[in-house]
Amino acid sequence: MALFSAFQTTFLLALLSLKTYQSEVLSEPLSLAPESLEVSIDSARQCLHLQWSVHNLAYHQELKMVFQIEISRIKTSNVIWVENYSTTVKRNQVLRWSWESKLPLECAKHSVRMRGAVDDAQVPELRFWSNWTSWEEVDVQSSLGHDPLFVFPKDKLVEEGSNVTICYVSRSHQNNISCYLEGVRMHGEQLDPNVCVFHLKNVPFVRETGTNIYCKADQGDLIKGIVLFVSIFEEPKDFSCETRDLKTLNCTWAPGSDAGLLTQLSQSYTLFESFSGKKTLCKHKSWCNWQVSPDSQEMYNFTLTAENYLRKRSVHLLFNLTHRVHPMAPFNVFVKNVSATNATMTWKVHSIGNYSTLLCQIELYGEGKVIQKQNVSVKVNGKHLMKKLEPSTEYAAQVRCANANHFWKWSEWTRRNFTTAEAAPSEAPDVWRNMKSVQGHCVVTLFWKPLSKLQANGKILFYNVVLENLDRPSTLKLLSIPAPANGTELTLDQCSYQIHVTANNSVGTSPASVIAVSGDPGNKEVEEERVKGTEDGFCLSWKPQPGGVTGYVVEWCERPGDPLCDLQWKNLGPNTTSTVVSSDAFRPGVRYNFRIYGISTERIPYLLEKKTGYSQELVPSDNPQVLMSNLTSYSFTLSWKDYAAESQPGFVQGYSLYLKSKAARCLPGSEKAVLSDDSICCKYKIDNPKQKTFVVENLQPASFYEFFLTPYTSVGEGPQGAFTKVTTPDEYSHILIRIILPMIFSILLIMILCYLKSQWMKEKCYPDIPDPYKSSVLSLIKSKENPRLTIMNVKDCIPDAIEVINKQEGTRKSLTETEPTKPTYLYLLPTEKSHSGPGPCICFENFTYNQAASDSVSCGHVPVTPKAQPSQLGLLTSSENGPKALGKNYVNSLGEIPAGETNLNYVSQLASPMCGDKSSLPTNPPEPALCSEYKTQMAIPMGLASPPSITLLDEGEHDH
Amino acid sequence: MLPAAGEPAAGDSWGMLACLCAVLWHLPAVPALNRTGDPGPGPSIQKTYDLTRYLEHQLRSLAGTYLNYLGPPFNEPDFNPPRLGAETLPRATVNLDVWRSLNDKLRLTQNYEAYSHLLCYLRGLDRQAATAELRRSLAHFCTSLQGLLGSIAGVMAALGYPLPQPLPGTEPTRAPGPAHSDFLQKMDDFWLLKELQTWLWRSAKDFNRLKKKTQPPPAAVTLHLEAHGF
Repeated sequence: MALFSAFQTTFLLALLSLKTYQSEVLSEPLSLAPESLEVSIDSARQCLHLQWSVHNLAYHQELKMVFQIEISRIKTSNVIWVENYSTTVKRNQVLRWSWESKLPLECAKHSVRMRGAVDDAQVPELRFWSNWTSWEEVDVQSSLGHDPLFVFPKDKLVEEGSNVTICYVSRSHQNNISCYLEGVRMHGEQLDPNVCVFHLKNVPFVRETGTNIYCKADQGDLIKGIVLFVSIFEEPKDFSCETRDLKTLNCTWAPGSDAGLLTQLSQSYTLFESFSGKKTLCKHKSWCNWQVSPDSQEMYNFTLTAENYLRKRSVHLLFNLTHRVHPMAPFNVFVKNVSATNATMTWKVHSIGNYSTLLCQIELYGEGKVIQKQNVSVKVNGKHLMKKLEPSTEYAAQVRCANANHFWKWSEWTRRNFTTAEAAPSEAPDVWRNMKSVQGHCVVTLFWKPLSKLQANGKILFYNVVLENLDRPSTLKLLSIPAPANGTELTLDQCSYQIHVTANNSVGTSPASVIAVSGDPGNKEVEEERVKGTEDGFCLSWKPQPGGVTGYVVEWCERPGDPLCDLQWKNLGPNTTSTVVSSDAFRPGVRYNFRIYGISTERIPYLLEKKTGYSQELVPSDNPQVLMSNLTSYSFTLSWKDYAAESQPGFVQGYSLYLKSKAARCLPGSEKAVLSDDSICCKYKIDNPKQKTFVVENLQPASFYEFFLTPYTSVGEGPQGAFTKVTTPDEYSHILIRIILPMIFSILLIMILCYLKSQWMKEKCYPDIPDPYKSSVLSLIKSKENPRLTIMNVKDCIPDAIEVINKQEGTRKSLTETEPTKPTYLYLLPTEKSHSGPGPCICFENFTYNQAASDSVSCGHVPVTPKAQPSQLGLLTSSENGPKALGKNYVNSLGEIPAGETNLNYVSQLASPMCGDKSSLPTNPPEPALCSEYKTQMAIPMGLASPPSITLLDEGEHDH
Repeated sequence: MLPAAGEPAAGDSWGMLACLCAVLWHLPAVPALNRTGDPGPGPSIQKTYDLTRYLEHQLRSLAGTYLNYLGPPFNEPDFNPPRLGAETLPRATVNLDVWRSLNDKLRLTQNYEAYSHLLCYLRGLDRQAATAELRRSLAHFCTSLQGLLGSIAGVMAALGYPLPQPLPGTEPTRAPGPAHSDFLQKMDDFWLLKELQTWLWRSAKDFNRLKKKTQPPPAAVTLHLEAHGF
């Protein structure tokens, strides 16, 4: 019952409701106005979010409606935005709509209102606007707080190049506010007394930490700011997809730059294929794999979307799968059937579909360069024959493939190396010989050049040398020389031989090279010519031979002077008469000798010409050792015969002689020259290089000269060396030498003679004079102890007469010569003229003369005339009591005294104690003798005695 | 008079020499120089002082780079913003009289606490930095600052002072909330560097003062000066 009553009530209510609806719809148009409008704010995004609903809709009814929304700023009359928003509306559904403001919402008060209209074709009668809702005011400023200054928007993130509006809200009316963008003041638009708006257009990226915008009060430390983060976000570049196996597509791209965001915001990539509607989120930032659908989908339309916090960026790619095939590298690649000139390459490829053909490219590399290139169409197995290969050569062959129908990309290369087989050498070795005669035998040294790789066709194992004796044709001799050798030495008799040389590898023998030698070495005397070398080498030419020449050979040594001179040769054709010989081994300053041979029809070489030259001449390396000879007052001769001009690093063309002298002018034949040290001298030029002597003439006697000789080549003179000094002799000096030298020799001879005969000379020239004091008689006297006996002193003698006489020169001379340091000035000479009568009593006690008497004394001074002298002497010498101590010489000398010199003996006796030795003067001079005593001395007959006399020779000397 | 004036001068130098000899003779007896036992806090104070000077120099370069990284106006030389969000930073500036009246323990404790806080903030700065080079420089400076903290702890231990215990939950963090704008954050960074610089200046003065207090007795100083002048 209860159940029934409940059902009845529900039915009635529904019926009522339906009736009401029908009556409303049918009676008058029903207004469907938006109701319950609410406005909220998203400050961070500067968005106004609106939500509302339409209540008047019937239950389950869905209608298309359009809502007109108006947004005003500051005051309701200032509508800044009007938009119609269409949507399908259900009863009591909450509708939402958002609006993003360019101006930060905090900067001004916003008001929103809206109205709605049915926009449904089913209900055309309801197409009219409802009434506006009331203005919904959005005033963020009122909820900001009490800070004196605000800047909006707060820390906004924008894209580079976008426009941004900034404002400040100031609560302080007294203070002026200035705003700055990165330190640069901005000028804005005053929205109201408290709000100022700044429009930034096309904002650039400044730094990752954002662009600083701040406002500050002119007074106080009030400062507020925001940071504007500017992001650079580019779309992905080089987006491309391809497949290698028709199962997986690999899509790649280069991410666009994404700067300006601090790390919290990163990009994500999404790949969307529009035909299949599939989508995949890529795990990597630059590539993504896509599984190819098994339903043989051919066309693909991809969209790659890069997305960050701010926005998305997309790129599109439409392609046919078969056009994007990048084949895998060929496999099972082999090089088969390799001969000396051919090889076959085989390979396999991965299939790219049942009906597809691959185009394969084969490249053949030899010595690092592509020498063959070929394209081949391949289904599964590939094969290619490589021809025209060189024997015994390393090659590399590589193959790659691409889709033949729709070329997209080549596969990677697959490479194989191989070496062709050997073949017999193709060319005869280049052979030359050197001949010399040793002990009647002909020693032939054979040289050959190794074959080039192209000629050898393999590794040369040995060389065969066959000697064919031309005089005995049946005689053959074979020599086999192992391979690295490039020559051999043969000792032959004087016969003629033909020599065949072949090179051999593992496959065969080369053609033979033939050279003949005869008994005559062919080194006839040929004039040597000079050639001038250049940087490119030596240009040699020769006279053509009048026939019978099969070719020419030019031979030279690359290291002249070296025992292993590194012989080189060059084969030239019979019509050639000149060639250029060049070599890296040629050095400046080295003389190279070239020999040009003609090859006769019998293959016998014979010398045609000799050339010599320098690739580059240099100045002489050393100067000659100059010898000077024939030095006279006016000239001297220089010679340098030992100088080896041939070993100089250039052809010596002559010599330069530098002569320095004090003379201001140069001698004839020379010219003034300035040396490197700025000194000036005279230079003689000797043009003949063979001249090795030079006479320097016209010199001044007794003058100082310096000379220096240096050779010169075409390049210049030799090194500066030291000057040799020379002084020409005086004009008369040789005459003087001729006189003085013999004189000195003579004097020396005399002196030697005198020395040897000194005793004899002494006896002859200055015999010893007996000294009475040293006489042995004195001892006898002393022994008798007779004090009265004493030696006569001259002071005791009183001359009674002085006679001045002129002595003979000879007498005086002899006296001075014998005793030059003992002047004698007193002579007591008996003269017949002077004694006229008996003189006073003067007694000379001279024991020398009266020693014969033991007690009687004799007056020493015995006046004798020259005539009477012999008798007197005879008297004296006859005394038998004469002291034996007296020297024989003394006695002899007395006996030998010439008549004119008799008185000399007395003088010496007197003078001796006076002047000869004063120190030996007797301390007790003898007292004057008494007259009575003197009388006893006067025993001599008066007739014989002459009065005593004193001869004063030189008054001036008397006092001595 | 002149000879009389000359004599004392000669006497002075002789006297100085005699004094020097006497001092040298008694040198082993001077306790401040007799360092055979425990060296005391002196060397570690000196080391800490040197470290503050070194860090000051290092910070000058780092701050220049970092403020350029923040951009103008933070790198402008006369920029002096109000200390809005930096209130939690330990303040280095203090009244001179207050500073003078600080005892050694309090002085060292303040230093220790300040650098503990500053180091935490600085590590936050390091984490935020965008360029690798700047991060490297900041990390290097953080290590150096950690060294200074250890050095201060060493001095405190040598003087027998306990290390201040951090209160639980008061660990400073550099976590800008939603209301904390990026501009304010930059201001905080600016203040952090500025405060750090001021603290290093202050620490140099603090440790110089401590150094003077723990220096050897004046006798040894006189000896040193005389010997130097001689």
